[in-house]
Amino acid sequence: MTPVEGSTLTTVAVVMVGYLGVLLFIGWRAAKRTHGGEDFHLAGRSLGAWSAGISSTASSESGWVTLGAVGMTFTYGVSGLWYAPGCLLGYLVNVYLVAPRLRPLSADQGSVTLTDVITRRWGDPRNVLRVTATAIILVCMMGYVAAQMTAAGKAFSSSLGFEGRSGYILGVVIGAAVITLVTSLGGFRAVAWTDLFQGLLVAIALIVLPLYAVARLGGFGALVQGLGAIDPNFLSAGGGRLGPVLWGFVIGQLGIGLGYPGMPHVITRYMATRDDRQVQRLQVIAMFWGVAVFYGAGLVGLAGRVMLPDLADGEQALMAMALQLVHPVLAGLLLAAVISAILSTVSSQLLVAASAVSYDVVEKTLGYASDDRRSLVLGRWTVVVVGILGILVALSEVRLVFWFVLFAWSGLGAAFAPLILLALMQRGVNRHGALAAMLTGTGVTVAWKLGRDAATNPEIFARVWWITLLAAVTILVLGQLSRAFEAADRVAIVAAAALTVISWWLVQRWGLHNLYELVPAFFLAGFAALAVSAITPISVEETSQ
Amino acid sequence: MEEFSLTHGAHLLLWAFPLVLVVAVIVEDLHDRLKQGPRQ
Repeated sequence: MTPVEGSTLTTVAVVMVGYLGVLLFIGWRAAKRTHGGEDFHLAGRSLGAWSAGISSTASSESGWVTLGAVGMTFTYGVSGLWYAPGCLLGYLVNVYLVAPRLRPLSADQGSVTLTDVITRRWGDPRNVLRVTATAIILVCMMGYVAAQMTAAGKAFSSSLGFEGRSGYILGVVIGAAVITLVTSLGGFRAVAWTDLFQGLLVAIALIVLPLYAVARLGGFGALVQGLGAIDPNFLSAGGGRLGPVLWGFVIGQLGIGLGYPGMPHVITRYMATRDDRQVQRLQVIAMFWGVAVFYGAGLVGLAGRVMLPDLADGEQALMAMALQLVHPVLAGLLLAAVISAILSTVSSQLLVAASAVSYDVVEKTLGYASDDRRSLVLGRWTVVVVGILGILVALSEVRLVFWFVLFAWSGLGAAFAPLILLALMQRGVNRHGALAAMLTGTGVTVAWKLGRDAATNPEIFARVWWITLLAAVTILVLGQLSRAFEAADRVAIVAAAALTVISWWLVQRWGLHNLYELVPAFFLAGFAALAVSAITPISVEETSQ
Repeated sequence: MEEFSLTHGAHLLLWAFPLVLVVAVIVEDLHDRLKQGPRQ
């Protein structure tokens, strides 16, 4: 990679400071309009189509879209693009099936969080569903937040010219402190508005840069020729993969989309949308954003492969092209887009984690019934505490926390996506089925992932049985001690444990190592919800208590 | 021959999918607008 001139770095740093200033300004403006708990957690259900649409999409993509997705096509060529139709299918389900149903349902229920939607939909007299959902969200989100803060720190330190360990620390602290402050001040409204600003920046970057790069290469013909010259497989839609490997890869990539309806930081945007008309406009905005961003990222990777064949890490292609191809001011904006993709996700996840603690645990489970003003103060301080925890984890680089990130997308997707779809479209599920779905989705995700890893590390094989049994027994004992469980809840836990163990057996026996864990976990969780509900029927009156 | 058709079908899905999607989204939105009539 060609060294970058000092004057370029200075210009980039000035643009970055301006970008952070815009975020703080938006946070301050949003804070002036945030007066109570529902304002803080859900922007008072007042979002318009643009802020709800772009915020929902920008929150879901994280640094993955400007780093990971670019790296996919850089590394694998055209076949690395299979994530794009997968993600767009997820968007389709979210904006055409989930959003139009979830907005009125949550408004009628008075629900503020995803956990609220689930518990009010099926009734939760002993807080079993609320505690389970909150635990899954917190475990997945905290790892996610810390990992995104790490990525933001690295991106900041490299674009601001900071070097070494101290440069990394400074990068993490600057990025995380700004976004924690903005989220704490303005809550959901600040997150949605900053997402709108950042999401547009990402979309513009991923439309302009690939078109410029392709034009500079001499057109799409030259791009195709260049890729073919490096490796003919780069032009194949299968990338040279054959048989089960090809199908596992394609189905797995398409399966990424199954997770979208279960992402709390995404679907709460639909709950916060003002009215049905805004939801209809949101559908068009979100789909256009998705097409532009996913295919733009793919094209950046393909063009980067031809233009910078010596680049060691494909995930750095966008940043390297920005610094080497365009004017420093534009480079600064492109790097701000990379960081935007990360910070828009951090702020949304920070708020979801904080809402899970302050609203779901403190206010609802522990019964600390706040008035609207106290709920706002509690929410703000919880964001600060969660933000500081995230910074500390990112700086200490605790490995265990990052281990959870491996399961974050698929874990949240499998635990909640089938449940949300069933909540909105199916009447044959009860609260015991809902509990079974959350536990099965989480359990199968972990078992399948470890089962895939066992192909290279057979020692793990012996462990998963014990982890599953231990987890099931622990949950049963805790439920017994707290007297929270009904008999049917025990059926749900046993069913989830059984399906988890069966999935472990399936991945081993059938050699399904190439299949992304979210695909089996999603369908088994849906099956668990329906099957457990069928064998533990409860009356309508009991459900609505 | 089978490999030929798979490859072309896959390319079609990869590249034509977003175009079809964009057209479908626009048509659906227009349909909604026409159904609702002019906004008050």
